[in-house]
Amino acid sequence: MRLRNVLPAVGAFAALLIAGCNHMPGAPRAQELARPEDQLDFTALYKTNCQGCHGVNGKNGAAYDLSNPEFQALIDDENLKMIVTLGMPGCRMPAFSRQAGAMLTDEQIDALVKGMRQAWLKPAAFGNDKPPAYDDDQKGDTAHGQLLYGSHCASCHKDSPQQQVTSPDYLALMSDQALRTIIIAGRPDLGQPDWRNDKPGQPLSGQDVTDIVAYLGSLRNPASNAAAPAAPVR
Amino acid sequence: MRWVKTAYNWLELRLQLEAPIKEAALHPVPRRTASWWYVFGSAAFTLLLLQIVTGILLAIVYAPTAGEAWNSLNVLNHQLELGWFLRAMHGWGSSFMVAVVIVHMMQVFLFGAYKFPRELTWILGVFLLLMTLAMAFTGQVLRFDQDAYWGLGIGASITSRIPIVGGPMVHMLLGGPIIAGATLSRFFALHVFVIPGAMLLFVALHVWMVLKLGVNEWPMPGRIVRRSTYLAEYNKMTHEDGVPFVPVAFWKDAVFSGAILAAVAVCAVVFGPFGPGGQPDPTIIQAVPRPDFFFLWIYAALAYLPPSMETPFILIAPIIGISVLLALPFYASEGEKSWHRRPVAVLMLTTIAVSWGVLTHLASFTPWSPHMDAWSGDPVPVRYLQHATPLVRQGAVVFQEKQCRNCHALDGSGGQRGPALDAVATRMTTDQLIRQVLQGGGNMPAYGKNLSPAEVNALVSFLETLHPANQQPAADASRREVESAQSSLGSAPAK
Ligand code: HEC
Ligand code: HEC
Ligand code: HEC
Repeated sequence: MRLRNVLPAVGAFAALLIAGCNHMPGAPRAQELARPEDQLDFTALYKTNCQGCHGVNGKNGAAYDLSNPEFQALIDDENLKMIVTLGMPGCRMPAFSRQAGAMLTDEQIDALVKGMRQAWLKPAAFGNDKPPAYDDDQKGDTAHGQLLYGSHCASCHKDSPQQQVTSPDYLALMSDQALRTIIIAGRPDLGQPDWRNDKPGQPLSGQDVTDIVAYLGSLRNPASNAAAPAAPVR
Repeated sequence: MRWVKTAYNWLELRLQLEAPIKEAALHPVPRRTASWWYVFGSAAFTLLLLQIVTGILLAIVYAPTAGEAWNSLNVLNHQLELGWFLRAMHGWGSSFMVAVVIVHMMQVFLFGAYKFPRELTWILGVFLLLMTLAMAFTGQVLRFDQDAYWGLGIGASITSRIPIVGGPMVHMLLGGPIIAGATLSRFFALHVFVIPGAMLLFVALHVWMVLKLGVNEWPMPGRIVRRSTYLAEYNKMTHEDGVPFVPVAFWKDAVFSGAILAAVAVCAVVFGPFGPGGQPDPTIIQAVPRPDFFFLWIYAALAYLPPSMETPFILIAPIIGISVLLALPFYASEGEKSWHRRPVAVLMLTTIAVSWGVLTHLASFTPWSPHMDAWSGDPVPVRYLQHATPLVRQGAVVFQEKQCRNCHALDGSGGQRGPALDAVATRMTTDQLIRQVLQGGGNMPAYGKNLSPAEVNALVSFLETLHPANQQPAADASRREVESAQSSLGSAPAK
């Protein structure tokens, strides 16, 4: 190789480098240095904080199916935000806010709530039906609940060990609210129907749901949950 | 052109450098030594020059204070034209230099070039290796980002384990009890003045000896080094069958050094600068600190060692390693140079290279310590939940919530501190699982006090489902009897 041939090549390389220096694969991109509390992207927040329990894209996880459009339509922003902020007493749903000793800021929790709405809330999730209220602090009628369980639930929840929701230990790990949510909005990723379809044509009323939850609650083994405060993780 | 010559003569009359330079350039080297195997030393030297040049340029912008260091690197990365490229060249130059120095050393070892009369050259070389590593480490600290911060923290905790002097040494290194502004000033001084100064001196001596003692001849099986005869033999060899260093051997050095520089530039362009990672802030615990690649193996070794072995390993292994390297030329200063006749040496080199490679590989692909966000980030594999009972599903939630995943992998994701649990039910019976969870054992904490009975039951019923579809879970007979007795009493409703 002659110097005459090499020099232009080197020159071209240098020119390329200088001209395209901010487009080279190695040129650092801005924003990759965000501090953890500056992360406001829903997908990233969901992935690092929620996916482990609630599953990829909010379904097929160990805990509740957050991508269920009926759930998103059922729960209002205030409750949703409160659950993420403070956790869910009686369940292993941790609190995520700084005020509760965890890592997320208020803005991040807002971003999560907004992101869930955008990703999973569908218009007219209930059609023309009006669902029972998300929460209810009335005391239920255990005996009536047991009857309803027999008529509306036992058809599926009787024999298969898959569907033993009456296990005292299982119930000890589920709060009344968590059960209520499942009964009203269903869990489509598992095949649990919503309140209208347990027994088609005979939708449950708000009071019915309260009663069933009271019945399930009466089976709960209170001693077995004694040592488990719903403490925030971390 | 007359004046050039005049000026040259004026200088030469006073400096008198022409003769020694000519002598050094034209000194004869054994013909077969003008080989591609002998280019690593000069490449290391070239890289040192590159590091000096890029280092000086960086020092113009870099601000060695705790408040500003991280920002000044971001200014280089984002605001100065080609600033990132400069950082990348310096960073990759350092990685290449470590690699080239190590390869150079392995080649010298394999070719027996440390034998008489080149023992001192080798010893200086060992120190140069240590200094190169020290430069790499201190340079990583100057980045003063999260990796640097945690790397330094781990380095300090290693140092602090040395009996008696450990504490004061940490204090001296960090300039106080904690990593702060004083720490950075110290490392800046080390990285920019102390170590480079010592290094230049050592390099000068090292090169001087290479020139004076001559380049090692190509090792031939059967040609034995003896103190009494070697110098005369070498002299004869180079004068009868030698070639002048410039240009016969030199052009290969030049080409290889050029190629290495080009490789550094390509890496810099393609992979970019190292960090800076997140801001150094001890309150950010989501960091996954990662040392630069040549220190990775240490972390893997530590992660795989039982904790009782860590301190002895950390304290004794480096001392033994360095002593062996220093003692080598005295132990084996005579004898065969050829690798054909030195099977033990070849075997040793291979073993070290392979174990280094394996450890580095392990460290770069497995989290070497608890995997800090596995509990909320990695989902439980769907197939473990699909046909699960409600209790098992809650067990999976407990498994995530109690952060078992930080140490145990499922389906390949999660920590590596404890064994993967994908098939744990085939190894352990229900009772053994309960005991493991409640009492811990080995390196596992006991969870007894932190779990309610319902949580334990849920957790264990989840663990019991972890077995391949075609393999039965472990069971013991007495348990089965107790269970059947229980269920016939009908203690659990709807069971
Ligand atoms: C340690 C596991 C875990 C993590 C991590 C987790 N959750 Fe939960 N979450 C639960 C459990 C358990 C419940 C109880 C409901 C159930 O399982 O059916 C729950 C319930 C909820 C509910 C209420 C559902 C209802 O029944 O009304 C919401 C909303 C929710 N989680 C949102 C989130 C969000 C958002 C995140 C991430 C910031 C998150 N969760 C992270 C375990 C977790
Ligand atoms: C059409 C059949 C059907 C009916 C009717 C039904 N379920 Fe279910 N339910 C299911 C299936 C299928 C699942 C998922 C089972 C599983 O894999 O654990 C489920 C799951 C559940 C779960 C959640 C279990 C978990 O893992 O968290 C609860 C709680 C539950 N059902 C309660 C009820 C109650 C209360 C009723 C009556 C109001 C009811 N179900 C009626 C089919 C049904
Ligand atoms: C700090 C890391 C760590 C955490 C957290 C941890 N483990 Fe372990 N676990 C280990 C280690 C290490 C072993 C191997 C113990 C030994 O050597 O005997 C182990 C062993 C086990 C075993 C036996 C596995 C076998 O094949 O021998 C089970 C089961 C287990 N752990 C379950 C759990 C559960 C459930 C949790 C959460 C409640 C948990 N571990 C949390 C480190 C951990």
